[in-house]
Amino acid sequence: MADVSQLATSLRRGTLEFCVLAMVETEDRYGNEIVRRLGEEPGLAVGEGTIYPLLSRLRRSGWLESKWVESPSGPPRRYYGLTVSGRSALDHFRTEWVSFRQTVDRLVGTGEAA
Amino acid sequence: MKTRQNDVVTEYLHEVDQRLAGLPVLQRRELLADLAAHIAAEQAERHLASEGEVIEVLERLGSPEVVAAAAHEEAGTRPQPPARSPLSGRRLWLYVAVAAGVLAVLFLCAGAMFLGRESGSSVGPVETAVAPTPTVQSS
Repeated sequence: MADVSQLATSLRRGTLEFCVLAMVETEDRYGNEIVRRLGEEPGLAVGEGTIYPLLSRLRRSGWLESKWVESPSGPPRRYYGLTVSGRSALDHFRTEWVSFRQTVDRLVGTGEAA
Repeated sequence: MKTRQNDVVTEYLHEVDQRLAGLPVLQRRELLADLAAHIAAEQAERHLASEGEVIEVLERLGSPEVVAAAAHEEAGTRPQPPARSPLSGRRLWLYVAVAAGVLAVLFLCAGAMFLGRESGSSVGPVETAVAPTPTVQSS
């Protein structure tokens, strides 16, 4: 059981941040939206609160930018958007991911032919 | 009702904060502000009325341990809680040493008093030497 959750953690590491970048690719979103959306994915199995430290790191590394915006229905919201370098990081990941996935599929036997 | 909700939230944020020792102070503040804003937005936008609904929001966020561990992992720092036990262990020894010292002094005082009384009056009972009381007992 510990091995199963360990595998999920290992697979998440290095990929989850690009899921976050992709979420704000076309429009800015605020924390609750991003966090709720990712928390709903059973395959990711992340505590919503663990996304905020990730958002912080992506902002500090210059891939995301954030701004606080007044909300019509509650407290101010912190909106996140993709920076130019965030966009190129996402593009780079997409290229890498496709070839990585194909390699693993071929080696593990999970490709379409299998 | 409102205050009960806020009690639960305050306690949760405090428990997270306790586990963020070692994190750069700005990141620590940022995370607490993000979590507080998240909870406040959920409460306002989804019109959460009961304490149970707020607890549900906190459960979805994850336990304070899990959230703090993620913060340490992203910041490349180490969680502090395990480092707290040797400190408290050392503190325990300090208390034991102080208590032993106080006891030793008390015994020395009692012994000195006992000897003093014995040399003054040869019929001093042992009881008064151990616990000397100024009050006169009415027997």
